Amino acid sequence: MSFFANLFGKKETSASVARDRLKLVLAHERASNSLPYMEDMKAELMEVIKKYTKVKDIRISSQNNQNIDILEMEIVLK
Amino acid sequence: MGIVITVTSGKGGVGKSTTLANLAVGMADEGKKVVAVDFDIGLRNLDMLLGLENRIVYNVVDVMEGKCNLNQALINDKHSKNLFFLPASQTSDKNILDKAKVKNLLDTLKKEFDIILLDSPAGIEGGFEHAIAYADRALIISTPDVSSVRDADRVIGIIDAKSDKAQRGEEVDKHVIINRIKPELVERGDMLNTDDVLNILALPLIGVVPDCERVISSTNLGEPIIRDKKAVSGEAYRRISRRILGEEVEYLDLSVKKGFFKRIFG
Repeated sequence: MSFFANLFGKKETSASVARDRLKLVLAHERASNSLPYMEDMKAELMEVIKKYTKVKDIRISSQNNQNIDILEMEIVLK
Repeated sequence: MGIVITVTSGKGGVGKSTTLANLAVGMADEGKKVVAVDFDIGLRNLDMLLGLENRIVYNVVDVMEGKCNLNQALINDKHSKNLFFLPASQTSDKNILDKAKVKNLLDTLKKEFDIILLDSPAGIEGGFEHAIAYADRALIISTPDVSSVRDADRVIGIIDAKSDKAQRGEEVDKHVIINRIKPELVERGDMLNTDDVLNILALPLIGVVPDCERVISSTNLGEPIIRDKKAVSGEAYRRISRRILGEEVEYLDLSVKKGFFKRIFG
């Protein structure tokens, strides 16, 4: 890295690349890993819904909107 | 009533057991009655870091299975009367532990010790889950590299979901220790700095340990580096020990230019 690039902080360092890559990969992983009970919960929900109607699939997604965590459930009927 | 502190990391080889051995000595030196428990069942290691490998007769699984009583398995440290050690078994049967036995053991230890330090195995399998299940606090060790930080993040998520405290709606008190930081690489922009790691993991810091060659010889000798008054990493561990016990302690100046680091090695 040249003196001037250093001085003006223009050039991307390997640490800043690492930081950006980590942020991206973790944003993705947290969404899928933060709810380890998801599979069990899905299976139980399926059982409950089956009592009333024919269900094909349940899709649950998690979202974080500022300070509120949201679980969105989509029930696909047969 | 003692507290259970689990030292964990996700990734292996980041210095979990070394950190635990040093903090165990550090807190014992601060006057606390400490027991260091090797929960890495099947892969015994903490004994060598503490230099106690020749004294093992019984292990933690023997205690849990009722093959011996606790006092038969506990090993007193050579230098500190406050420090005890409970070794891992070397059986490879991972299913040997169950949660009820773990809880029972920890409840017993809590009555006799102020601090119960659990060395968790690397990975996120059964053994790890047992080590975090009844933790009051967790120390997450990460080196400043992408794989270690990523795995640390994963482990934090699992503690928040699966620990007994989390399931009761409480929170395990979690802190980060950044291990093996190289100030000159950070300065050059070739290593994640402390703030980067903390921002990503979104947890408070409790210590930064600089990369230090003396750790290797101290491991060779089975003498935790914290007992070496000249080593900068030893000083870092002493400060972390005091912080864990609630004291506010200034952080080491690890800047390259004119800091402590430079004065020692410059």
